[in-house]
Amino acid sequence: MLVDMEGAPVSREAPVLRIDGLSKVFPRRGKPPVRAVQDVGLELRAGEIVGLLGPNGAGKTTIIKCALGLIRPTAGDIAICDHDVHTRHGQAIQHASAVLEGARNVYWRLTARENIRFFTGLHGLDYRSNRAYCEGLLERFGLADRANEPLINLSTGMRQKVAVVSALAKRTQLVFLDEPTLGLDVETSLELRSILRELAAEGQRAIVVSSHDMDVIQDVCRRVIILKEGRVVADDTVESLLGLFRTRSYHLVLRDGPSPDLAGRLGAVATNLSLGRRGAQTELNFTLPSAEGLYTVIDIVRQAGAVIETIAQKEPDLEEAFLRVIRGGDAA
Amino acid sequence: MNRWVVLRAVVAKSIIELRRYVFNTISGLVTMYVVFLLLFFGARSLGPAFSAGTGLEGLVVGYLVWMMSITAYQDLAHTIANEAEVGTLEQLFLTPTGFAWMGGSYMIGQFLVNLLFTAILLLSMMLTSGRWLHLDLVSLLPLILITIAASYGFGFILGGLALVFKRIQALFQILTFGLVGFVAAPIAQYAWMKLLPLALGNQLLKRVMVDGLRIWELPAGDLLLATGVGLSYLLIGVLIFGYCLRAARNRGMLGHY
Repeated sequence: MLVDMEGAPVSREAPVLRIDGLSKVFPRRGKPPVRAVQDVGLELRAGEIVGLLGPNGAGKTTIIKCALGLIRPTAGDIAICDHDVHTRHGQAIQHASAVLEGARNVYWRLTARENIRFFTGLHGLDYRSNRAYCEGLLERFGLADRANEPLINLSTGMRQKVAVVSALAKRTQLVFLDEPTLGLDVETSLELRSILRELAAEGQRAIVVSSHDMDVIQDVCRRVIILKEGRVVADDTVESLLGLFRTRSYHLVLRDGPSPDLAGRLGAVATNLSLGRRGAQTELNFTLPSAEGLYTVIDIVRQAGAVIETIAQKEPDLEEAFLRVIRGGDAA
Repeated sequence: MNRWVVLRAVVAKSIIELRRYVFNTISGLVTMYVVFLLLFFGARSLGPAFSAGTGLEGLVVGYLVWMMSITAYQDLAHTIANEAEVGTLEQLFLTPTGFAWMGGSYMIGQFLVNLLFTAILLLSMMLTSGRWLHLDLVSLLPLILITIAASYGFGFILGGLALVFKRIQALFQILTFGLVGFVAAPIAQYAWMKLLPLALGNQLLKRVMVDGLRIWELPAGDLLLATGVGLSYLLIGVLIFGYCLRAARNRGMLGHY
């Protein structure tokens, strides 16, 4: 069982993280101020693993750093386990840990064990009473065999894993992982994702993962928050977000070339229409406002004298959903 | 309890780093010793006017105070600049006891290491110079603390400036030479100079190490004044550090380098 610093069991009812009306404006001398985050609100409970997605400059890192008290917000309230982050930082931060700059968050001249010992000590945890837990994490992350080597001798992936272990070893209810797989090779990234999924399945921590890598978020997170220009434009489960597009996007292959007016007639009922040739065949991609619209499309194609070879419902990935939300606000 | 655990973790890390950077540690000690030799033989070549009386002993004490002060003020600022560069600075803020306590723990660790180095260096200097000083630890330790408290105040000021401005090495050079002036301040001629950092403390240390006085034999007024001066500079440093920390958090530049 995950416990807090006083050994009390973690409550699943109260939000572990509560952000309300968060805004951050960075003033700039002689230039207009940068509105990095605007009126963001969210809640996170134990057991949730949430992905923060957004293009560069969307405000992901600013939100995380405000939540950790590293940046002072211009407006809004942030509480971790009911402790205000800015007026009671010590109590709030007892319940939170973070990996902010990946492998740069650890000391390369120290060994993995020394790093873990230092960072848990900094958190007020006596290593002797926490040793079994730390050793378990080292084992789980495949670091046990090389835990006494200075990190400078280890690969980037292993250093990154040490950074994650150093954060997890603090046994906090809330963990922020900012770009945890950045710079990792495919194998290490998959390994780390697998461990994060396991940790999420344990259901005792709330984990916030910020990443540019959609696969990581889709693979690891159940809920995703999409940010655009400092605002939340979508906050839903990954499944719902994908479902929103899955029901409407189609890929259609015609045996022959299209009649001249087909595109025009389809354009009246479908959006995001694209039409291309592959050999003798014609490929159509389109999105419909409702599932029933497919019958109308089939009628239009039949009336145009074309023969349908295949119809497939497109399986959108998170990247596609993300791009649509960012560009058009479909899911907002 | 948390504070004790944090202190232990920070001191343990300092010791590990000293051991891991052993060449840097030893070369630092050797450099300080070589500078002392240059000063000592330079002073002796000035002739009997300087060598007679307590001139050379005073030089040893003054050099020690200067050296401890430099280490004291540079440690925190160097650490902040270095941690920002390697990417670990923000992690140091994620401590339930607060960054000021973490910084204080770091300074306590460095003070202990500093004390060990000073003892090694002092022994080497006394062996080289043939001038043996009084080493009454009961008197020396509190006096050293009172004296270099002001330097730790400068450490907090520069540490705070490093949070905001990142590169402040030029200030190190100015302060390093400025400290020589404080240590050598003629407080016998100008009483107001007792208010300068290090000046009065250095004078009291000389009375203990050269004249062989005990701490309770020193003028109570001077002792109180030296304590007040040291603590005042330390307090000013902590306040400025707090102000700079708030500024850095407002501007979101804690992790910048």
